[in-house]
Amino acid sequence: MTAYLVSITTEGAIFGIMALGLNVIWGWSGDFDLAYYGYIAVGAYMTLVLTIGPATPPAQYILGLQLPFPLAVVIAAVTAMAVSLVVGSIALRHLRGIYFSIVTLGAVYVMYVIAGQFVPLFDGYNGLSGLFDPMGDVLGLDYESYQYFFLGVSVVMFVLVFLFMWRVSRSRFGMALRTLREDERAAAAFGRDIYRLKLKGYILGAGLAGLAGGLFAAYLSAFNPSAWSPVEVIVLYSAVLVGGRGNIVGVVLGVLIMGVVVQESTRFLPQVPILGELNTLHPQVLLALRGAIIGLVLVLFLRFRPQGLLPERRYVDPPLPAIEAAPRTQSA
Amino acid sequence: MHDPLLTLGFGIVTASILALSAVAFTLEYAVTNVANVSHGEILTVGAYAAYLVHRQTGSAIAAAVAAALAGGLVGLAMYASLIGPFIRFGATPTIVFIATLGMSFVIQNTLVIIFGAANVAYTLDPGAPHQLGPFLVTSLDEEIVGSAIAITLVLYLIISRSKFGKALRAVSQNRELARVTGINATRVAAATFFLAGLIAGYAGFVLAAFVGSFTPYFGFGFFLITLTAAVAGGLGRAVGTMAGAVIVGIILEVVPALPVPFIGGYVSASYNLAIAFAILTLVILLRPRGLFTNARRTVFE
Repeated sequence: MTAYLVSITTEGAIFGIMALGLNVIWGWSGDFDLAYYGYIAVGAYMTLVLTIGPATPPAQYILGLQLPFPLAVVIAAVTAMAVSLVVGSIALRHLRGIYFSIVTLGAVYVMYVIAGQFVPLFDGYNGLSGLFDPMGDVLGLDYESYQYFFLGVSVVMFVLVFLFMWRVSRSRFGMALRTLREDERAAAAFGRDIYRLKLKGYILGAGLAGLAGGLFAAYLSAFNPSAWSPVEVIVLYSAVLVGGRGNIVGVVLGVLIMGVVVQESTRFLPQVPILGELNTLHPQVLLALRGAIIGLVLVLFLRFRPQGLLPERRYVDPPLPAIEAAPRTQSA
Repeated sequence: MHDPLLTLGFGIVTASILALSAVAFTLEYAVTNVANVSHGEILTVGAYAAYLVHRQTGSAIAAAVAAALAGGLVGLAMYASLIGPFIRFGATPTIVFIATLGMSFVIQNTLVIIFGAANVAYTLDPGAPHQLGPFLVTSLDEEIVGSAIAITLVLYLIISRSKFGKALRAVSQNRELARVTGINATRVAAATFFLAGLIAGYAGFVLAAFVGSFTPYFGFGFFLITLTAAVAGGLGRAVGTMAGAVIVGIILEVVPALPVPFIGGYVSASYNLAIAFAILTLVILLRPRGLFTNARRTVFE
């Protein structure tokens, strides 16, 4: 039970970083980005190729530098940001709404196909493995205590990201991103460079995705195309939506709720008599049930509570002071 | 028999299935101004309906009818339960886009719960291959292409000649103005979704039979290609979409067969999706209103 709690808390912290990054792009900047899971994957893949040893045939992949884990994660996050710069500079310049979403969907499928098919890069469908307990050797930790150590690393990273986002949320930059979501033309009229602002927000979000991806790779110790799929991003979107788009406290609440729904429903539903029977028929039934619940939650929240459980505080101008009627001037 | 010609023949079959799926999608877009991401699931449901009915009755015709009817009902249900209410509630097209993505997730996973995620093998007897002009075709290929052309012609007549078609065109051009002239836009949209569902369900049956197998995820994969065809031809424009589908369908079959100096000499067919999206991105960036219209370069909604 303790091991389970440690594992689920670690996963929750990583998931929280992912959701906070997505919140920059969708919550503040207002763009429905479907490529987001691609940046997580870039972070995970890059962390792996930077930390594990060189490829031994028949496996083949790039690099294999055996760098220390923290350095690898930093490089991985920067790589994710570089990829997002390419995608963002294409998709954000002229496109909004569903056209932006369609192009990012295309981008993530291109990434997915390349990761899965172009073998010399990340060993195709076999994927990468072999990142066991990074930093564990240096610190001399055994398997048991390492789980606590990695939990600590993930939670500390999550708290740092949260505090950083707290500041960004109230900064001029955070405010400016929100104005783009509300009314792009008005923002332009007030002298904002829409494209650059959006691109900055996009890259910031992707950087957090890359960071979370690096931690995720260490948590899983392996990564391959069957470990991720572009549509996984729906889980993150439902967390951000349920908690409250644009409100970082809400986003964390959303992660908690979706974490509980996703994890616990798959643990306890087999005890419901009818579903338990179905489970014996098809092994994937619980996973599918989880997916169906997530989709349903997304649809219901969009329809009945689009602002989420903890809505973003709206910044309303204070009412203008009443203007006294000017005394009539007697014209001579 | 040259390889390129053979793949071109394949390309024509793919293109005709794609044309059916894409024209259904574009009709859905035309009456609602919403890209229905769960469109692919209509094809999946059609494939399952065809498979079940075929196993029961042993008749391919009954399977085709069942696929179309199941697709039509699913399309109608999508409009009545989700897209219509969202539009009435005043949601932006992007919000409805996200909602249909969520619905697509729900339908896919419901199908997994009912039928399992395993591949279902489904083949029709293709008949002996024979020479037709420069192509080597089977009678199944001929039936697929022939039925696609027939459906397209009927659809064209409905849209251009019937009173319903006139109402459909009016709603797609200006929903408010159509309502002012006494057209019940909600009913027209619902009927259009039923019609589109009929076509898409049939397309799902044909695609399953042509590919030889399907899974609960099969429609979603094809939807991504459908989207490319519809955007290339111009979202919401039926005739343009057909042309887009033919072009995209042929490119998708011919390009992977071209000798390109890349990984083993040929671009693997698995790169299909990547190629489709490369086309899609180029079209959206350069000609966002489709290949066959002159329009502004930017797409702001």
